[in-house]
Amino acid sequence: MRLIKETHIQFTKYHNLFMTASGIFLALSLISIFLVRGLNYGLDFTGGTLLQVSFEKPITTAAVRQALATNNLENSNIQMTGVANEFIIRTPLHASSDSTVVLMTKALESVPDNSFITQRAESVGPKIGKELRATVFQAIFWAMVVILVYISFRFQFKFALGAVAALVHDVIFTLGIFSLFQLEISLSTIAAFLTIVGYSLNDTIVIFDRVRENMKSKRYNVIEQLFDVSINESLSRTVITSATTLFVVLILAFAHGEVKIFSIALIIGIVIGTYSSLCVASPIVIMYQKKLDARKKK
Amino acid sequence: MFKKNVVRFIIIGLTVILAGYALYWTIAYHSFSSEKLEALRTKGELEKYESRIIRLGLDLRGGMHIVMEVDLPKLVETLASNKTPQFMTILNEATTEAVTNEEDFFVVYRRKIADSDLRLVRHFNGFGFKNEEIIDNLEAEAKDAVNRAMEVIRNRVDQFGVSEPSIQKSGKYRIIVELAGIQDINRARELIQSTALLEFILLKDAAVTQQFITAADNYLKTGKQDDLAPEPRDEADTTVALKESKDKAMSVSELLGVTSTESGLESEEADTGLVVDEEIYKERPFSSLLRNIDNQVGVPERNVYAVKKILENPGVKKLIPFDSKFLWSAKAERRTMQDGRTENFYILYHVNNEPGLLGKYVTKASASLGGSGTESSGRPIVNMSMNSEGARIFAKLTGANIGKQLAVVLDDKVWTAPFIRVKIPDGSAYIEGMQDMNEAKDISIVLRAGALPAPVKTIEERTVGPSLGRDSINTGVRLGLIALLVVMIFMAVYYRLSGLLADLALVLNIIFVLAVLSVLQAALTLPGIAGLILTVGMAVDANVLVFERIREELEKGKTVRAAIDTGYSRAIITIFDANLTTIFSAIILMQFGTGPVKGFAVTLFWGIISSFFTAVFVTRTFFNWATEKWIIKKLSI
Repeated sequence: MRLIKETHIQFTKYHNLFMTASGIFLALSLISIFLVRGLNYGLDFTGGTLLQVSFEKPITTAAVRQALATNNLENSNIQMTGVANEFIIRTPLHASSDSTVVLMTKALESVPDNSFITQRAESVGPKIGKELRATVFQAIFWAMVVILVYISFRFQFKFALGAVAALVHDVIFTLGIFSLFQLEISLSTIAAFLTIVGYSLNDTIVIFDRVRENMKSKRYNVIEQLFDVSINESLSRTVITSATTLFVVLILAFAHGEVKIFSIALIIGIVIGTYSSLCVASPIVIMYQKKLDARKKK
Repeated sequence: MFKKNVVRFIIIGLTVILAGYALYWTIAYHSFSSEKLEALRTKGELEKYESRIIRLGLDLRGGMHIVMEVDLPKLVETLASNKTPQFMTILNEATTEAVTNEEDFFVVYRRKIADSDLRLVRHFNGFGFKNEEIIDNLEAEAKDAVNRAMEVIRNRVDQFGVSEPSIQKSGKYRIIVELAGIQDINRARELIQSTALLEFILLKDAAVTQQFITAADNYLKTGKQDDLAPEPRDEADTTVALKESKDKAMSVSELLGVTSTESGLESEEADTGLVVDEEIYKERPFSSLLRNIDNQVGVPERNVYAVKKILENPGVKKLIPFDSKFLWSAKAERRTMQDGRTENFYILYHVNNEPGLLGKYVTKASASLGGSGTESSGRPIVNMSMNSEGARIFAKLTGANIGKQLAVVLDDKVWTAPFIRVKIPDGSAYIEGMQDMNEAKDISIVLRAGALPAPVKTIEERTVGPSLGRDSINTGVRLGLIALLVVMIFMAVYYRLSGLLADLALVLNIIFVLAVLSVLQAALTLPGIAGLILTVGMAVDANVLVFERIREELEKGKTVRAAIDTGYSRAIITIFDANLTTIFSAIILMQFGTGPVKGFAVTLFWGIISSFFTAVFVTRTFFNWATEKWIIKKLSI
């Protein structure tokens, strides 16, 4: 079976179109992130408490709220999970010295003849939240640095530039979509972002690898032609791999909770990552090369 | 050539056998019946299995992850004596500055002290003479406190009976406690978090307490202080007085608001009159919230908040005799009122500031039911006995205060406050008021293990109940299998026989990753399962790269053998470069990530490593073997 036969798509012809489209999307993402909607940071980064409890007998949200009021926690955000009698209660950290989880649990114990089981309890102090944010920035920063160095070493600096530009593009774009739909950014989402970085890079490198190989054969003296041939030669692989991984991740999206958001991040990431490998990484390399050539001529 | 293939098959065979052995324990363990498990446990062989099976993370098996930090400012405060306003101001400033600047508390404190003319030797006994020296010693004390706190928590957890508890130090002042598979989360949490500071404190005379209540009533009514306490500010300053009365008016209405809404939660009309009468409230704003319970100060449950607020009022605070403080009873008492309604009461105890005796002298503590004929007959109590030094102090204390009440206080909550009837010479005492035997047992555990040497606060908690964990495994495994199946079918359809070979490699890949996890004893978490499913994608990609390349070479007109050779040798470079960058990401995630994220990184890392082996080495071996055995004209790809 063969889905994609020999193709001769002239990707380089549409570079300006791609670059403009990406530019617009990036601008929109940045506007959404910094000006309009912001990012919906989860408990991991803001600090706060989450309690998931399931009651033995049916109970209304109002009754849960009333119980919480005994410890002045009535302003908590109470959500039903979809499972019978199960609630997720979120509340900012309480100023008192007692742990907020204890206060919440004690308050819920005041519900008359209806016991409950704690399914999940998460509590993150403001200090920890700050630390996690710092750690995440460090992680992403170092990932980028290592990748830049590695590709410069294995290929050439201009390729590294193209690859990292594509990565930054992917991350900002995905963040933009998270901002637009106000999806929660938690530790798992960050792990997903780093996986996206890995995937997108994977695609980009497969194409660059072809370019490197074709460069050696010296058959193509026009840089656009070199890239077009290379992209087309690896197109079949790019499409099949992206499709299978996308399929896997689509199935993961049927899970609940963290894994679901994680998969959504990956779905967005894989689509954007594939696009950027084909349509962002290469133009940047070509543009940089042309600038170098122009400087030489001077 | 044939020989080379034999070597390759031997390598593959050995790896599979090793992986099979590594996974044998897990499979055996899960196939055992509960009787067999019990038999192994009695023989002491179960541990052999448990240390070799795939360890599940807390999110999958259920459990508790708590990060605690020594509260340094609090520690300094408790160690200090003679806490002057200047001392407290510097301490508070250092506390806030350390938080906002994210600096080490002691660094900030050192700076603040150096900038001031405070002489620390006036506040700390036995910590040296120079300021620098004293801070050094305080810092050493804090570090030591962390280690002792770990020891105390370990003792408590051991006595509570949790399998494989993990108690680790993190950074300078943090302790991470991980308890897997616990059933009663709330009980475990209290056991770990309670400071377990036990004190025996004498109650103030009822007359003194009464005097304070009256003074507080007067103050709240008129906004003026009685001459009992020193005047806080110049009365002539009318602006201040005005402000003060405004504050007061607001806080009183606030109090009223609280009581009326809280009572409004039940039945609207019937309640307000019972808890607090408007008229009486105006006349006696404080005492109207209180009730007499067996000649002690009782507070109806829903007035507790209001009373706490009054006691925190700066004006009222000044009226509390300087050598005393108020403590609450640990439990509410249920009483039937005259009109037949039942009501929960907390008791407010007015006690000395200085404890008469500390719990550190307690050597034994055990839970039992109160003996017949005693007051606590049939109810759970905790018996304690003290060492000789404690017994001596206790004898002196009880002997000198016959007829007074002695409160037994655990973590600032009064459990019982019996009257001292006779001198107790043998250092035996007990606590009562526990709800059930479990609670009595937990209290005796924390008493035996001792108090935490420093105030500790919980800064992070992640807990998953056992049933949620089970659900997660089921969903994770089910989705994983579906994903695997879909990918395998696709490969077989798209690349036919070669695709089936890739499928074999995929299955081997998963087996290897699981085997590595069980050997490393790295925990499999939910994100870990996600990572495993993702490596399926990566492993498939390796084969797609190889197969596409072979197809290409075949199209160029190469023979099957030549196409396979070039296909592999070319694709390997690509696979290497492409996957290495993902490995870098995984390593970085392992360094920075915590808990679940780390689990993801670990499976991703090993998944990629093993996919190098399965997708390249294993499939290649089979291709070599097939092309050597038969002369293949047309490759099924």
